[in-house]
This record gives sequence, structure tokens and C-alpha cells, in this order.
Amino acid sequence: MPSPRFPLPQGTLDMLILQILSLEPAHGYGIAQRLDQISRSVVHVNQGSLYPALHRLQQKRWLRAGWKPSETGREAKFYSLTPAGRRQLVVEKDSWARLSGAVNLIFEEGSR
Amino acid sequence: MIQLVNWFRRASRERGLDRELQYHYDRRVADLTAAGIPEPEARRRVAVELGLAQVREEVRDVWLTRWLRDFLYDLRFSARSFLRSPGFTATTLLSLALGIGATTAIYSLVDQVILHALPVREPGRLVLVDWNADDLITGAIGSSNQMPHAICRELQQQTRFLDGVLCRAEIQVNLTAGGDPRPVAAEIVSGSYFPVLGVGPALGRVIEPEDDSAPGTGPVVVLSYDFWQSQFGGAADVVGRKVLIGNHPMTVVGVAAAGFRGVDVGAVPAFWMPTSMYADSNLSTSEDLFNGPERWLQILARLRPGVSAAQAQTGLLPWFRPWLEDSTRRPGFPGISAERRRLYLASTLILTPAPQGHSPFRRSLSQPLWVLFAATGVLLGLACLNVAGLFLARGSARGRELGTRLALGASRGRIGRQLLADSLLLAFAGGILGIALAPAAMRALIAFLPHDLAANALRPSLSLDLLGFAFLVSFAAGLLSGIAPALHAGRDNLVNSLRERGGTSSGGARLRKAIVTLQVAFSLILLIGAALFLRTLTGLVAKGPGFNTSNLLAFAIAPLENGYSRVDASRLVRRLDEQVRALPATRSSATARFAVLTGGHWSNKVTMQTDRRIVTDGFINFNSVSPGFFSTVGVRLVAGRDFDRSDTRPPGEIGPRCAIVNQAFVKRYLAGRDPLGVPIARGGGSADVKPDSPIVGVVADMSYRGLRDRSEQVFFPLFEHDDTGATFYIRVRGAPQQAIPSIRRLVQQDDPRLPILWFRTLDDQVSRSLNTERMLAALSGSFGALALLLSLVGLYGVMSFVVTRRTREIGIRLALGATRASTLSLVLRDAVTMIAAGVALALSCVAALGKLVQSQLFGISATDPATIAAAAMVLAAGALAAAFIPAWRASNVSPTDALRLE
Repeated sequence: MPSPRFPLPQGTLDMLILQILSLEPAHGYGIAQRLDQISRSVVHVNQGSLYPALHRLQQKRWLRAGWKPSETGREAKFYSLTPAGRRQLVVEKDSWARLSGAVNLIFEEGSR
Repeated sequence: MIQLVNWFRRASRERGLDRELQYHYDRRVADLTAAGIPEPEARRRVAVELGLAQVREEVRDVWLTRWLRDFLYDLRFSARSFLRSPGFTATTLLSLALGIGATTAIYSLVDQVILHALPVREPGRLVLVDWNADDLITGAIGSSNQMPHAICRELQQQTRFLDGVLCRAEIQVNLTAGGDPRPVAAEIVSGSYFPVLGVGPALGRVIEPEDDSAPGTGPVVVLSYDFWQSQFGGAADVVGRKVLIGNHPMTVVGVAAAGFRGVDVGAVPAFWMPTSMYADSNLSTSEDLFNGPERWLQILARLRPGVSAAQAQTGLLPWFRPWLEDSTRRPGFPGISAERRRLYLASTLILTPAPQGHSPFRRSLSQPLWVLFAATGVLLGLACLNVAGLFLARGSARGRELGTRLALGASRGRIGRQLLADSLLLAFAGGILGIALAPAAMRALIAFLPHDLAANALRPSLSLDLLGFAFLVSFAAGLLSGIAPALHAGRDNLVNSLRERGGTSSGGARLRKAIVTLQVAFSLILLIGAALFLRTLTGLVAKGPGFNTSNLLAFAIAPLENGYSRVDASRLVRRLDEQVRALPATRSSATARFAVLTGGHWSNKVTMQTDRRIVTDGFINFNSVSPGFFSTVGVRLVAGRDFDRSDTRPPGEIGPRCAIVNQAFVKRYLAGRDPLGVPIARGGGSADVKPDSPIVGVVADMSYRGLRDRSEQVFFPLFEHDDTGATFYIRVRGAPQQAIPSIRRLVQQDDPRLPILWFRTLDDQVSRSLNTERMLAALSGSFGALALLLSLVGLYGVMSFVVTRRTREIGIRLALGATRASTLSLVLRDAVTMIAAGVALALSCVAALGKLVQSQLFGISATDPATIAAAAMVLAAGALAAAFIPAWRASNVSPTDALRLE
């Protein structure tokens, strides 16, 4: 069954996770839901690939994690951004803006 | 780093991940059921969505890189399987530990003696400056790269190429520091020595250029750190203390930096003194060593950055040519022919890189050390082969396990890696054990080396370099011993290996046979080496020095070093000689200017006048001896007479009155003539050498420098007024040790401040002079024995393995009427093939390796057929015996039992 949604481009998942966590700390399931809502179900995130990414970011010390009661009252592992993660987000946003700007320029050049 | 932490925390990490995923799973299922999907369907969908197993695996990869994780799992698995078979583990571990320990120990000596750069600033820029002019013109002694002081000072002006020049000489002096005078080794150095080397003081100051500006200006000494620690207890107030060098007062001005032991490995100086004080050392006192042409110092220079030794050598020519011209006009320059003058003026300075300093000790020891290093390399290779063989045996025992893993989908690479992890783990464990063994091995090695040199110059300590080396060796050993079994893993047919009885598969038998063949070859090489060195040692011992050493004592004094004048020294020696002779324990006694069998010598060319003038083509060894020397040491007088009192030259007369030569000299230069009466003289070449000392006697050959040496020798009468020879030879009645105290007392009564440099029996002297040979024989002998043992065990293992594999076949043969004998020969044929191949392999290497060891041998060629045949016989006999046991077992197989096993 072909998915009607786009697969997430390589390397952007980390940036999206950092962006979501920059608003408020969240647990894995929460991040998955938020990704779904924000992207209005246009982008398809494989739920399984979320966790390796979270652990990777944590290992890079961009995220820190701790167990806290969640909205259901059950304990969940909440991730939040470290100062290093916040800086990394700025860097990634910047490079993304430059990349997409460049791609747009090329498209506009072609259509003119 | 974090990754390794993760490995040790992996249990709690796993639990956390499980909880986290469980939370996700439960929430998702709850959300889906709330949206109206029935629970079983929701669970199924979530499980697919998440892919739990894969997520876990991917997260683990984040924690710890895949290969590292696999490797750590492999190591854990290996460790567990090793603990299950302790016998196997102990055997392999021990052989690796022995190999690695021995290699590390020998390498430490190779490093310290040969490779280690001096602990000074930028040792890579140091060069040794030598001069290739004719020694006879310039007055150099032997080949110890000696130079005049003047060149050193003038070289310092050549700043275009050189950043600094230092000169130094080794001296032996008597040092008095608040106790009895003791003979110590020291270095006499230029004021530039410490600044150029970049060595500072640990205390006080070092010798500075001002101390060395003109003769007599710097009565100071700088102690070496070790000497300060051992003799002064590291006292902080040592600076400013007065000490006596000979009987000259000097002031201690400082202690050199710790770890700095001069520029000569093997001669550890107790202190340094400036060359300006040469008159206070025991060097010749009559010449102006500061300005004269005497060559008595070694020169080391520091190249300017970016200048190579060759560039500097060429660049110095424009300065050196006029210097040479100039030197011929100086007073004291010998009268020489035009041809030799031309050669002299064409001579150059030779600059050779010397980051390790200058060391005659290194030269004499480097060959034996390389030989031993090569031998340990072979031994280590053998140990690796042994471990490889054991692994293969274990691998075939584990054939079913590996087969099962292959069948379950493990890749061959994965299994090979597991086996490699096995061997690496073992090798590193062996390496750690080896490192633990190494200091003891080093101590044992150092004990074998010439004692006076090695004891203080070499340290049995582990350095970081050494640990690095041991690590590399262990890694190499692990790879070597593991690679064959790893490559072999799973080469067997999968179906076969899973069968109850892999009757047709080779089980690595061919590989194992190849390994045993190599082992046989390696151990034969070591055995031949051992036999050669053993025969060298026994040959030298049997040959002896050419005289009877039992009941013979010798001791030496150095009166000049204690401030005696030459005349007084000569009187003292004569007085002591008479007193010693009068002792009741003395049978006879005599003195010689130089001690024999100590490696030292005095030599020059000799000119003779027969019907024509003959100049020897090589250097002849000289000694001056007192009347009765030959009868005391027991060297036969072949013709003519011994010296007597009337041969002693009265003061004022120049040149010895007569000479005695040995048989080798007569054979070489005066064959077919009557040697008696032929006039000879020391020196050759220049026309002003006048042969005027007639030969009055011929003596049998004796060893001079060492036991190997049986060179041409010329003896002159001692007790000429400037001869201060001070080695006494005493033939005693009864046990030599008992006579020592009374002789010591004699010397002390005469001058309590005069130390005896050494006192030993000639037996002891002979055995000392054989240190290197004994080390080579003992070590190569034990290596050979070890190698033999390892290869016999290997052969036995393979033969047992082959026999077990062929039990059924043998049973059938026996049942069909084969005899015991034919079964025996069937199995032995295999062994004989391996042994023969190994022997052939070894023999082809022996010729090449022979070149390496030839210089260390005596009276035997490195390819001596008898020795090689004997070693090969020993090996073949041992190997056949090792193979015979399994073969015998095979021939005793009962056909019914063998077939019932099916």
C-alpha cells in the first residue's frame, strides 16, 4: 500500500525533534503525536526511527532525559533541550533556511 | 568513551529503553482503542508500526557502534569459553607469555643499547665528527674517533653549519669524597658540553664555557644525578663541597639533570669536569693537551636546523683545508713523504648522525643483541604457530558448534571474527603475563652481559615505549596465531560438519601439517644456532688463553691517577713487585704494563730490518713485561731468552733495548728466518723509525685482548723509567683466594691512599671475558630447547589428531589383513614427510642467517656440516619419537573396536 504521505528527508528528523523540544519538554510518544499534528499528516515519520534518533541526540548531549509523571499519571521518559541543543537548533535552522532558499532560487530561475 | 560506559551500563540502559517503548506502545494502543479499533487489532497494528525488535537493535547501535559491540560480545564469549577449558588456556597463554616476555626483554636491551636517543634537546641534530687522516700521522689511538682539542674549539666558529660543538673524553680517576679514594669513571668535557646538549642542572649549576676558557681555570665538577643519589644520599648541601680528583682539590658546583648519563651508553660517568683541568685528570701530564695535536677527545656537534650532515661536511671543507695546511707547519708534525703528505692534505672531516651519542659498548654489543632479537622473534613465531595449531585442534573439536552456528545463519566472516577475537584475547592476556615476566628476564639478561659495563648502564625497568612494543607484539601474535584458524573457519562443508562423524573432511589436517612443518623448521634453526654458540663457547674454553690460569692472580693499580710522577710510579711498581715476590704464598710473580684478557690493548705497526726493511701490514699488539712474566703465567719460551735486569733501560736512553716476539709474529713476518737478533721498532711508515731493538726471544702464542685473539705480539722489557705498568700477575701456592688479603695488605702498607682497581683470579678473568659468548650459548640453548619442546608437542598433537581421524580406516586395513608394521609405517610416513620438509626449509634459511651470526662464532663456520647434521639428527629423533606414540596407538587399534565405533 503506497503511503499518501511524504517520507521525511534524510537528516531532517533530528532538526524537527530539536524544534519540537524547544517549545517544551516531551516524551517519545508526545513527540510522535506532535510531529503528526504539526505536519498535518503530510510528512510520514516512522515511529520506530524516532527512538534511535532521540538516543543519538542524547548521546551528543543536545538532549537530556528524565523520568516524570506524564499527563496520564504514569511515569514517562521526558526529553528536554540542553543549551548545546538550543545552539544546534539555531545552526540547523540556519543551514536549512539557506538550503531551501537556494533550492527555491534554482526553481524560480528555471520557471522564469 | 561514552560508548564504553554504555557497555558497562547496558543492563540499566536496556531496562530504560524497555520502559520507554512500553509506554509508547501502551499509549498508542489506548489511543487506537479509544478511536474504536478493537484491542487485538490495535495491538497488532502498533507492533507493526513500531517494529520493536528493530528499534531496540538500532538504539543499541547508537549506544555502542555495531562493530565495537560485536567485538565486546565476542571477547566476552571468548573469555567464557576459555574459562571452560583451563588446560588449553594455560598452555596457549604460557607459550605466548614466554614468547612475548622474551621478545620484550631483549627488545628493551636493543632499545637501550642501540636505538635509544640521548635524553637531550633534539638528539636528531647531533653528529659525531671524525677525521679520516692517517692515524700514524695524527697520533690517534685505534678507532675511537678521537680528535685534538684545537679542532673542537675552531669548529665552534663554524656557525653557518653548526649550532654548537662539544668534545668529551672518558676518564678513569680516583675520587676522594670524605672517605677512601675510589676509582670511578668520569667524563672530561668542554664548556660547551651541557649548553649544546641542552642539559641543565638538578642542583647548583652545570659546567659553563667560563670553566673551560684556558688550562687550569675551572677546578669544578658536576655530579651525575645517580652518583649524587647513591654516594651523597641526595644531600642538598653537596654544592660547594671539596673533593679530590687524584690528589687535586676540586669543588662540586652542581648536579646534572636526572636521567642524563653522558653521551656514551655503557660508560656511566660519576661526574663531569672541564677539559681545562686535563692536567688534574690522569691523562698524560707531559703534553699540552689543550693546544697540542694529540687526539684524545670525541667531538659531537649540533647541526643548524635544516642542515644535513652531508651538507655540513661539504660546507666545512673551505675552513678545514687551510687548517690542514697550517697543521703541517706546526712544531711536532712528523716528517713524512710527499705522497703521504698529499694524502694527509686530502683528508676530510666525517660527520655521521649520532642521535644516540657515541658508544664503543654499543658497537661490541649490538651484533649479539640483534642475533638474540632475531632468535626471540623466531621463538615468538613458534609460539604463535603452536597457538594456531592448538586453535585448529580446538576448532575441529568445535566443528559441530561452528557448523550449527553457520546453519543458523551466522556468516563465515562473523565466525572467523569470533575466532580472531579468541586469539587476540589470548595474546593480550599472554602479553600482560609476558610484561610481568619481562623485568625478571631483563635482569637475567643483564647479568650475562659484561658486568662492569652493563650493571650501571642498563636498567631492567619497563618504559612506556616498551609497553607499546609489547602491545604491538601481542597484537601481531594474536593476529598471527588467529588468522589461519579464522580463515579456515567454516571452510568445511556445512553438511559434513553437522554429520555425527565427519569422516571425509580434512578438519584442517593439511593446515595443521603445514604449521608443524614450519615449527620443525623454526626449531631446527634455533637448535643449529644453539649448537653453534655452544661449540663456540666450549671451543674457547677448551682453547684457553694459552696458559694455565689456575692459581694465577692478577691485580691492577693506577699510581699516576693518584698523583704519582712517572718516576715515582715506576719505583712503586718495582717495590711492590719485589715485596709480592717475597710473600710466602707467592710461587712467582711479574708485572705487565697492560692487563691481558680485558679487551684493552696497545698497538702500532712494527718495522723490522732483515736483509731489507719490512713494515707490518697490520697493527701488532704490544705489552711491556717484567723479567719472569712468561714463566709466571706459563707461556713457553720457544727460542732465545727471557728479559733480564740488564735489559732495563737507564734514564736518558731512548727506545727499548730488546724485544720478544710470539710465534704468530714469526710465522707471519719472519718465516724461514732466524728471528733472533733481528732488529725491530714500534711504528711504521715514516723513515725516521729506526729498528734498533734486537729480538732476543720467541714465546708461544697467548691471548691478549680476549680469548678469541691470538694475534701477532711483541713484548718489550718493563721497568724502563717511563713505563708505569701496573698489572701484577702472581702464581700462588694453594688456593688463590687465600693469598688476596696479604697482597692487599702489602699495597695498603705502602700507600693507604692508593686503591686497587681490581683484584681477581685469572680463572675469573677468563670467565668474564666470555660473558657475551656465554650469554649467546645459554640463551640460544634455552631457546632451542624451548623450541624443540614446542614443536614436538605440536607434532604429537597433529599425529594424534590424524590417527584419531583415521581410526576407522586403520581398523578396516587391519581387518583386511594389514600387519602392525605396515600400519605403523603408514602413520609414520606422514610424520617423516613433515619432518623432512621442515628440515629442508630450515637448511635453506641457515645459509642466509649464517651471515648474521658468523662474527660471533669462533673456530667454527656458521654452516658447519657436522653441527647442522647433529642438530638435524637431534630434532629428527625427537620428532620421530613424538610421532611414534600415536602411530603405536594406531597399530594397536583393535579392528572390531574401531569398526564398532561407527
